[in-house]
Amino acid sequence: MQSIAIARARVPLGARAIATMFVTALVAASLTACGGGADVGSAAERPGNDQGYRGVVLPTPLAKPSFVLTDTKGQPFDFRKETDGSLTLLFFGYTNCPDVCPVHLGNIHTVLEQMPFDVKSHTKVVFVTTDPERDTPERLRSWLDNFDPSFIGLRGTVDEVNRIQATLHLPPAVASAPHGADSSYDVGHAAQVIAFSPTDNMGHVIYPFGIRQQDWANDLPKLMTDKWAAK
Amino acid sequence: MQWWCSAQGIAWTWTWRPYVGVWIMVLALALWYWRSYTRAAREWGGVHPRLRTPRVIASIAGIALLWMALDWPIGTLGAGYLASVHMVQFFLIAMIAPALLVWGWPPARPGPLSAAVNALTHPVVAIIIFDAVVVATHSPPVVDSLMASQAGSFLLDMAWLLAGIVFWWPLIGGPFGRAPLRTPLNIAYIFVSSLSHTGVSMYLLLARFPVYSTYELAPPMSGITKLTDQDLAGGLMLLGGAAIVLGAISVVFFKWQAEEEREESRRQRAASSELSP
Repeated sequence: MQSIAIARARVPLGARAIATMFVTALVAASLTACGGGADVGSAAERPGNDQGYRGVVLPTPLAKPSFVLTDTKGQPFDFRKETDGSLTLLFFGYTNCPDVCPVHLGNIHTVLEQMPFDVKSHTKVVFVTTDPERDTPERLRSWLDNFDPSFIGLRGTVDEVNRIQATLHLPPAVASAPHGADSSYDVGHAAQVIAFSPTDNMGHVIYPFGIRQQDWANDLPKLMTDKWAAK
Repeated sequence: MQWWCSAQGIAWTWTWRPYVGVWIMVLALALWYWRSYTRAAREWGGVHPRLRTPRVIASIAGIALLWMALDWPIGTLGAGYLASVHMVQFFLIAMIAPALLVWGWPPARPGPLSAAVNALTHPVVAIIIFDAVVVATHSPPVVDSLMASQAGSFLLDMAWLLAGIVFWWPLIGGPFGRAPLRTPLNIAYIFVSSLSHTGVSMYLLLARFPVYSTYELAPPMSGITKLTDQDLAGGLMLLGGAAIVLGAISVVFFKWQAEEEREESRRQRAASSELSP
């Protein structure tokens, strides 16, 4: 696991716990099967549930950062200006990431495909690379196109990107020492997606690794319409 | 090093991984069959119907399929990467291997465990156990909890294997105890068993989003989305279940037809011998 902020917990189970689960699962399975859907998430266990969100609702919202980086066409991209009025999902990662980045982007794409047109068309997914050395504009574009051609890819220097992350209280990206025959390296980076509201341009909810498609499906329509300033 | 396949959350590579627990289990099973065959051959002098070559070959094939399903790469992929491979494992471990293992079960005389075996393999008990295990071991809370640890993954695999043996025993017949179910009861038995398959497959196919976090959050495999993987798993369950049900019913039907023909020819021979002076 290369991402440093959130890691999945793999807790070995005791025999008693496993036996209990088998019995309870019989009941649980019969109930969920009748629903015909996949709403098996544990929203009640997650922070922010009192407002109906499956992501983590921040007690103090994050201001949308102002920065200009370069997009995959080589053009300057003014983040604040270009995303103003859109539901913006901002994520920092790299194209060689084996786990967190492709899972997040793949899940967001799958859910957006099932969203109503007004949600899908007013959502911007912005991916900022933390590995500008290997993530050339061509590579970044081609990699993002595997998920969704509408996803925006941005590049800057490592220092620039780390400064932006600092304004969002995210840890800086850290490259490991080169290893293996091809001297490849991993980049430790923040694993959460930050959602900026279209109504007040603030980041109220973050999505750590472990967030699921059904959680995105629950939250995206709410994020689109929630009037945070009125709360 | 792991002793049994489980979800680890590390990126997939085609680098071989050893699973010592799988080897020990498969070796122990092979040794038990070999020892039971040699003992039975001494006792029955090689004339017992259960000592015929096709049955011995079936037991070897059953053990080989079990090994294939539990070891790298199928075991690894099914435990932590692809729901569709997990479903392939289910068919190998719970459906195909047990059928071969039961059919190739060495001859044995009733022992201290016979009463328990007879009780567990009563058709009504067997069908309840089988359907309960199929439903429980495909429910998201169970799969996600068990696949996260080696002990949990081992328990799930063993539940499948034992449920499969219990399921096939009343149909194929064991070395002692109750005779195999006769037509049409065996057809009804197979049909009822397919209800759990169908229920699980429809649940997977109708879900809008991935139901197992184990596979949804696993490091992705190129060329397949999480939802496609789940649809594939549901489709495999539906088609594989249907194939096994149709196959089993076909075998039952043709065996029944052959018995009827033999009976008919016996009656005709008896009638003609009575008529001749």
